Amino acid sequence: MFAFGAFLHSAGFDLYQSFLSTFFTFALPGQFVMAETILAGGTLLNIFLAVLLTNSRLYPMTVNITPVIRNSNIPKWKEYLGAHFIAVTSWFNFFAVEKSINQEDKFDYFFGLGGFLWANSVLCTVAGYLFSNLVSHEILIGLVFINPMYFLVMTVSNLKEKKLICSIFLGAVLSILLNDLFPGWSVLIAGITSGTLGYFIFRKEINE
Amino acid sequence: MSNQFIYLSILVASVGTYFCRAFGVFSARNIKTDSEIFHWIRCVSIAIISAVIARIILFPVGILSETSTSIRIVCTLILLVVYFSFKKNVIFAVSSSAICFVLLNHFL
Repeated sequence: MFAFGAFLHSAGFDLYQSFLSTFFTFALPGQFVMAETILAGGTLLNIFLAVLLTNSRLYPMTVNITPVIRNSNIPKWKEYLGAHFIAVTSWFNFFAVEKSINQEDKFDYFFGLGGFLWANSVLCTVAGYLFSNLVSHEILIGLVFINPMYFLVMTVSNLKEKKLICSIFLGAVLSILLNDLFPGWSVLIAGITSGTLGYFIFRKEINE
Repeated sequence: MSNQFIYLSILVASVGTYFCRAFGVFSARNIKTDSEIFHWIRCVSIAIISAVIARIILFPVGILSETSTSIRIVCTLILLVVYFSFKKNVIFAVSSSAICFVLLNHFL
């Protein structure tokens, strides 16, 4: 998020725009897509569709985490508010410890974890914007590279069940193979196909 | 690009992003954690994340596209080797990879 703030500064956005982007979106790949589409002269419809497609991964992630943290004492509005904190980082970190948390505490735990990560992201975006002149372009690129590397490590840490291993491996390979054929859709097609294959091939596997 | 257009773009991007989350909460209302569909969704979620990562590493857009593919691949391998060699230490693995990435981009 620091790199994103610095990137927005160098691209001519103002501080409030940087702050609001992370405050209301909190999904880095989509935020980069938004900024780059603006810079490329895209229309509002272009931006909406590009961001929707980029962040569509949040849909299955939300469908996956919601039944796990559900609690009859939690009002609906709070569930919808908590959904704003669903991101790759909070999703992975929650599932890393989920089994050790009491069912009635899971929503509050996720709300606290996600809220903390969200607040940090907002602060880091602002810090990146304010201190971007202290960071060279090469360092900035290095900071941007941290994001996929962190996602990759967290993904690899899930290599426990065969169906997940298969889904992860096929997802990566298929998205590369499909990139030239369906540039805008390769991630979604690869993800749905690979996840479905991984699930059905290892359906008999005992779910942990 | 006018300031007004940027603010509208942020609004549109926020609506697009939150729609994915809110529709996810809505769709999950009848899904139980021991159901087949729950496990299928988990596989799809992680496969999509894996696909996103592969695409960012091999076909990045934005400032990462200024770097060479071979350097990105080498640093990804460094990440995995360090991660598995040092007791799955996430911070050490990610920082080693990022530092190597900056150094390789600077010297090569």
